[in-house]
Amino acid sequence: MSAVRTPPPALPVRDKRAVRALSPMLTRLAEERATGVLVREHGVLHLAEGRVVHAESPLAPGLDVLLTAHGTLAGAAWQRAAARTPSPLHAAELLLSSGVLPTGALELCHLDALYDAGYFALAPSSTPGRFRYDHTPRLGPLPSVPVVALEHETLRRRLLLHRLWPDPAADSAPLIRAAPAGRTPAAPVTPRQRAVLDRVDGLRTAADIARNLGRQAFHTLVDVRRLTAAGQIAPAPAAPAAPPPTPLHQVTTDPDIALLKRLRDALEAL
Amino acid sequence: MPGIDECLLEAMRLPGARGAALVDWTSGLALGTVGEAPGGDHETTAAEAAELARMAAEHGTFAARGDAPAPVEDVIISNGDSYHLLRFVDTSFDSSVFLHLWLGREEGNLALARIRLGEMAARLVLG
Repeated sequence: MSAVRTPPPALPVRDKRAVRALSPMLTRLAEERATGVLVREHGVLHLAEGRVVHAESPLAPGLDVLLTAHGTLAGAAWQRAAARTPSPLHAAELLLSSGVLPTGALELCHLDALYDAGYFALAPSSTPGRFRYDHTPRLGPLPSVPVVALEHETLRRRLLLHRLWPDPAADSAPLIRAAPAGRTPAAPVTPRQRAVLDRVDGLRTAADIARNLGRQAFHTLVDVRRLTAAGQIAPAPAAPAAPPPTPLHQVTTDPDIALLKRLRDALEAL
Repeated sequence: MPGIDECLLEAMRLPGARGAALVDWTSGLALGTVGEAPGGDHETTAAEAAELARMAAEHGTFAARGDAPAPVEDVIISNGDSYHLLRFVDTSFDSSVFLHLWLGREEGNLALARIRLGEMAARLVLG
């Protein structure tokens, strides 16, 4: 029996709902122009008057990573702004008002980070989202996005990834290099793909590589799916299932049959 | 210092400008749009322009030799009645965006627009 087998593509999740809206709760919140924080399994959306002003996800590098990874902003400058403000969005607004960064660069980076984290925040989840009404989020000087626009873009991005390579296994698993043997000569690897490929080490996931590169996670996923389709990389095979744990206290091989019978009789008598 | 909207509005002041957008060529998302879109749909325009920009940016054939800051500066398409000018924005952080200017051919001045759009792209991210 071969140890490595390609798992079949995962079945679509919540496909019926996806056609209508990604999150009915979010649609309702947009309609009532709610202000607060929506916490979902893979990320958080901050809404002000029904618009998305900020998004965060553990799977997407934050604005701080995008800005500091390549020296656009000194790490210490971000730390100072973050220490004086209650949230990363406010820190970004402080940087904007202090003129440390060009307006266009900050707006662009802010929107990049918002759509990127929003994509993961709106990913199918196994638990329902929770919304906390809260007056902290507000429409500030940085651009905000209508809920519908974020949902629409998220669906479009899912479709884009699906068309590149339909199996999402490589999105979240540690990645390994694969030899594109037996295939037609591989398409040339682009410089941006090369940067991703160079960081594939059997341990890092796409999210780790994105953070390491200071690059949007969705952009990284696009290259991961392309490289997977080209046979250059693959999700690491899952570790073999651990054998069932042996009980610490060995169960007696000679159960007390009489006791069990009495117990059964007692239960039946109830 | 101009933001995205100011930058696009400035592009619209060029003679013959019909529409302008800031587009991410990896995702095909329009991060900002002003004016008209060919066919009336900014989203489709952005997705199609992004595909063209991605080809130009990724294929070594079109890249500058040596240590140029960006592989490609711009892509120019001309047709019977208009020009499309795609100008890559060279950011200090990791991104993949370009400015797309749609220009009427009668009134538009391609050489001028190319120079101005390059300046706007630089000001957008450098201040």
